[in-house]
Amino acid sequence: MNEKKIIELKSVAKSFDGEIILDNIDLDVYEKEFITLLGPSGCGKTTTLRIIAGFVTPDNGDVMFDGVKINDVPPYKRSVNTVFQKYALFPHLNVYENIAFALRLNKVSEEEIYERVEEMLAMVNLRGFEKRDVNLLSGGQQQRVAIARALINKPRVLLLDEPLGALDLKLRKDMQNELKNIQRRTGITFIYVTHDQEEALSMSDTVVVMANGKIQQIGSPTDIYNEPQNAFVADFIGESNIIDGVMLDDYRVKFSGQEFKCLDKGFAKNEAIDAVIRPEDVDVVEPEKGMLCGIVDSVTFKGVHYEIIVTINNFKWMIQSTDYVAPSQKIGLYIEPDAIHIMKKSEFSDMFGDYSSFSDELEHLSDITEEEEERE
Amino acid sequence: MKRKTAGNIYTVLVFIFLYMPIAVLILFSFNSSSSTGRFDGFSLRWYKELFSDAATLEALKNTLILAVLSAAIATVIGTLAAYGINKIKNKHLKNGITSVTNVPMMNPEIVTGISMMLLFVFVGGLVNSKTVLGFGTVLIAHVTFNLPYVILSVMPKFKQMDKHLPEAALDLGCTPVQSFLKVELPQILPGIISGFIMAFTLSLDDFVISYFTVGSGFETLPIRIYSMTKKRVTPDMYALSTLIFVAILVLLILSNISGDKEKKTLTLKQKKRRKIVLVSTFSVIAAITLGLFIGTSFAEVVTVNVYNWGEYISDGSEDEDGVASVDTNKEFEKYYSEYLSEQYGRKVKVKVNYTTYASNEDLYAKLKAGAGGYDVIIPSDYMIERLIKEELIQPIASREEITNVIKNYDYLLRAPSEGKTLTKEEAEIFQKPFYDNGDDVYSVMYTYGVIGIVYNADHVSEEDIGGWDLLWNEKYSGKILQFNNARDAFGTAMYKLGVNVNDPTAEQWQACLNELIKQKPIVQSYVMDEVFNKMESGEAWIAPYYVGDALSMIYQAEQRGINLDFYYPTDENGETVTNVFADAMCIPVDVSEEQKTHAIAYIDFMLSVDEKYGAPAIANAEYIYYASPNRLVYTNPDYLATLDGDEEIIYEPMSNINELFDKYAYRNLSSQNLSTLNSNWEALKVESSSFNGTIYVISAIIAAAIIGYIVFITVRKRHRRKLYWEQSPTVGTKKSSSDSSADSLSDTVTIAIKRSKSKKD
Repeated sequence: MNEKKIIELKSVAKSFDGEIILDNIDLDVYEKEFITLLGPSGCGKTTTLRIIAGFVTPDNGDVMFDGVKINDVPPYKRSVNTVFQKYALFPHLNVYENIAFALRLNKVSEEEIYERVEEMLAMVNLRGFEKRDVNLLSGGQQQRVAIARALINKPRVLLLDEPLGALDLKLRKDMQNELKNIQRRTGITFIYVTHDQEEALSMSDTVVVMANGKIQQIGSPTDIYNEPQNAFVADFIGESNIIDGVMLDDYRVKFSGQEFKCLDKGFAKNEAIDAVIRPEDVDVVEPEKGMLCGIVDSVTFKGVHYEIIVTINNFKWMIQSTDYVAPSQKIGLYIEPDAIHIMKKSEFSDMFGDYSSFSDELEHLSDITEEEEERE
Repeated sequence: MKRKTAGNIYTVLVFIFLYMPIAVLILFSFNSSSSTGRFDGFSLRWYKELFSDAATLEALKNTLILAVLSAAIATVIGTLAAYGINKIKNKHLKNGITSVTNVPMMNPEIVTGISMMLLFVFVGGLVNSKTVLGFGTVLIAHVTFNLPYVILSVMPKFKQMDKHLPEAALDLGCTPVQSFLKVELPQILPGIISGFIMAFTLSLDDFVISYFTVGSGFETLPIRIYSMTKKRVTPDMYALSTLIFVAILVLLILSNISGDKEKKTLTLKQKKRRKIVLVSTFSVIAAITLGLFIGTSFAEVVTVNVYNWGEYISDGSEDEDGVASVDTNKEFEKYYSEYLSEQYGRKVKVKVNYTTYASNEDLYAKLKAGAGGYDVIIPSDYMIERLIKEELIQPIASREEITNVIKNYDYLLRAPSEGKTLTKEEAEIFQKPFYDNGDDVYSVMYTYGVIGIVYNADHVSEEDIGGWDLLWNEKYSGKILQFNNARDAFGTAMYKLGVNVNDPTAEQWQACLNELIKQKPIVQSYVMDEVFNKMESGEAWIAPYYVGDALSMIYQAEQRGINLDFYYPTDENGETVTNVFADAMCIPVDVSEEQKTHAIAYIDFMLSVDEKYGAPAIANAEYIYYASPNRLVYTNPDYLATLDGDEEIIYEPMSNINELFDKYAYRNLSSQNLSTLNSNWEALKVESSSFNGTIYVISAIIAAAIIGYIVFITVRKRHRRKLYWEQSPTVGTKKSSSDSSADSLSDTVTIAIKRSKSKKD
């Protein structure tokens, strides 16, 4: 990865009607990077994207492009292009004309336009679709046209606003690969907005987790997953059991009335912390061999594994195991030291992590389309 | 199956109901005679006539220019307005502005029209212009009332448009202007086109607003047709209406095609073809308009603006036998241009701007409002009296000078009746009528006429005719018609009772009212123009009407085998007791000295019988079929020959015209009498009848049913809501876009808190 900064946001703030959408965020985007802004609806990720595109002017802070401040540069003068959530193809133009749109504005010769449009069509696998009416294309095809249209001007940065949100699951997986390939081949910086954590983890070089108008964590997908910085990140990325605990000493933590070994250090003595244990890192053992014991509340078959909810000290744990256990059975849990991740207390502590009212509620809430976030 | 048949029958019935009138109109536009009751064979005669009727074509041209211009301007302004409104972020402001722009659509046209006229005249007063009303003002008015419709049809297109499209355009390098032209405009184009077409058709057939805001020298087609009511609508108007209907139909079909309901299923090829059709239609319309403009833009040196009753001048149209009449305005243009050219020693073009009105009161309203610009007007006797009093018309000349000014003035003379020499005063009744007998001459008489009674000779027996009491004869109950205007209707009662029509006492007013109330049960209906059809078809037998129209009625009825006859009512002494009226040419007070010389030339020309210019006075008398006060006319043997016996009826009142004018002409009523007349007329009209009662009851039932239904719906809704409305938490009940992100965030928190509570338990 190139280490040259292409876009910098410096304490950028934005509020609509007195409601804070972005709360002084700082973000550096490097050249040739695939960076994803990840967060639930209303976290400010789309607004961040629109500030970079130039559709929204920040109340505060600077937007730098190649080290030059571009706060007041209108969108049509920025070498940044956008793939919109619902594609925003021009319905009165056919596929060829949609893709050629930007070139025609620049008075490029017809021969060159033809060459470049064909090149783009080849890249997005739409050769032979030139004369098609864009309204008659499938969602995936429209998506490709939108990408080709945005890339034809060879922008330095491509902004993608939930581009796969409207596609079905299978198509989405294919497009994820295709997008990643395009990004690698063209070497253009991609800034990608999504609320789908799996998409973010599988495609990105860097993931930026956002919530409540603030950046919660920036890091590689593995960092984000394995070393979440607070309860929000831990909960939002994958499944987590987040338990109140106390750091007794370096490498020693106490929760659920038990003392555990762990790999974390540098906390104050007896500091209250959040301990994160991923459901797949817990081993189910005989009750007498377990570090913790509990009664199985429910078991759900998920295909690859069973999802087991166990109550221990009034806290409902989620465990993923390939072995079946029966409900009401007493089981023991075994946790390796490297399965425990310790986080400092944050504003999100106590809000996530317990599975007593486990349902898809949160999932649903974060699935609300970004549409609502976009009002200005 | 049965239901389907019933449904089909119902549909057919609805269509018949909707399109029957137009079908009849189209049919009769191809009638070879002017009869409204019988189809005498297919002919294109009325179409031919229409295209030789210069005044109507002029009005049509004006209407088209006005419609295209106003629609185009309104479309541009309206589209920009819709663009702006759509950009407003504050929801309340946006809704507010949208509602405000919609108000003019709901507003009754009459309110818009009057307020516009008031505004224009007021502004005209500020800039000291008396002739502010004209093409410009009608254009502004039309643009104004077209605007909401354009906005209404463009706004939804903006709303439907993906709001990211303009952003996508900016993103790809468009400036905001380019984005509007290249991306937004193509999306809203169907809305713009249908807005334009809607504005065009609305402007094309607008009458009310045009009527109030139009000035002299500009007449639109609807105004022209409407003002033909003094005589009746000629069949070439059926031809014209047919053409307009077909044109509008084509436009509507085009506008529907241009709507994008099935856009998605169309191939690009079909779209292209449709585009070609649309573009070519519009270019044809634009080309015609442009052509008309160029045609009219040659500067006229002298213009005479004439404001007359509809169908009240010989206009070059063909008569029953296909012989074209003289177009007296054209002849004047020819004559006066020759005259002026000789005078000035250079070529001068003369143009008569001839426009029409429907009643004295309309004319008065225009003059009173200061809507000037007319050089010659032709009001009736009592109105002239009023105009002189209120100084709205100016003297043409002093009485000594008048014969020098109007050369043919001396021929306005009463004919001596047999064996009786007339005093000078008696002979000069047409020069010094009751309404204009001062030292200055304000008016030059154009025609005069008398009210008489038309009756069906097949049904009404000879012994019943003669007086006004025929209208009260119960033998003919249900077959009697009465005037549907206050002055004439009360006139019949006053003449019957021998009351002074211009200043009755309170008791006499009451007596007349009682008389009319007594008559009401036997009256078939109160009519004006409908009288023609009712009498010609034999539906009614007895009607009081004006002599010129009565003769035309008799002629028409004869064609249909119905035998009508006519008489002037007399009292028991055998003396004629009926209304006599005169229409005379006047010059409004705001006419400049220079324009006045042209106006005088026009007035003089209308008295002329110069064969070189088609003998205008005779041509007019033949055409309008009222009596001429001009001795050169009523002694002309050719003219008398064309009347073919009708001259006895038309000129009968001349034998005692002085007395008739003296005793029975309508004078300008005092304001007290005028208000008594109006209140009595209302009293007569609301005098309860079973019909009125039924209408009230039905309206009340409908209103009650609507209110009942609304109450029922409201109560049921409230009842259904009662259980869940207060008890359910607000989560998820409302997801309006303005606060949802805040909601969803707080929802997250709420749920999380619930969770952590349970964790602590």
